[in-house]
Amino acid sequence: MAERSTSGAPAKRSVRRRFSRRKGCRFCADSTLKIDYKEVRNLRYFVTERGKIVPRRISGNCAEHQRKIREAIKRARNIALLPFTAGHSLD
Amino acid sequence: MRTYENIMIVHPDKVGDEYNAIVEKFKGVLSDLNANLLKVDEWGARKLVYPVKKQGRGSYVLTVFEGEPTIIDEFERRLRLDESIIKFQTVQLEKGFVEDDSAAAAEEGQGAEEEE
Repeated sequence: MAERSTSGAPAKRSVRRRFSRRKGCRFCADSTLKIDYKEVRNLRYFVTERGKIVPRRISGNCAEHQRKIREAIKRARNIALLPFTAGHSLD
Repeated sequence: MRTYENIMIVHPDKVGDEYNAIVEKFKGVLSDLNANLLKVDEWGARKLVYPVKKQGRGSYVLTVFEGEPTIIDEFERRLRLDESIIKFQTVQLEKGFVEDDSAAAAEEGQGAEEEE
């Protein structure tokens, strides 16, 4: 009975964690990091190529900081610093 | 009195004297409304991420000011009336105005510690 359960679990786990992902909220770890809608360079990391906001399960942010990131991205979008979507034509 | 931060995008065709006149005009509007100007930062012409009023570029002007909440309506109405302003956004700064980022961070840290 005991032998049966040990075989499958570790292999399955290694498949699931194929790419490494940093754990924990980077803003909680480093309090000098500021979230500001005017600093688009820092916000780029939390936006996909298509302009979508990266979900918390990917970015690893805690609820509080994800909320601040979300507000900042929306403000930056409103004043044409970040895109709402890829494919805005400029002509 | 509350602290606000406004970003306006000036039409890219306005350059030189015309552009300066617009910036001065809105500084004047703010002082007429009894706002206390704390900072005016001209970012210069930048590429817009998406076209606004068919323009791909624009000059960003950031202003930080203190004033009563009631003046915001009037200030934004004036911005809306001026055709050379293609977009603007006003944000309230909850923590007030902080000039230097590093000094501000240190002050905030101290403040939090004292409270606890």
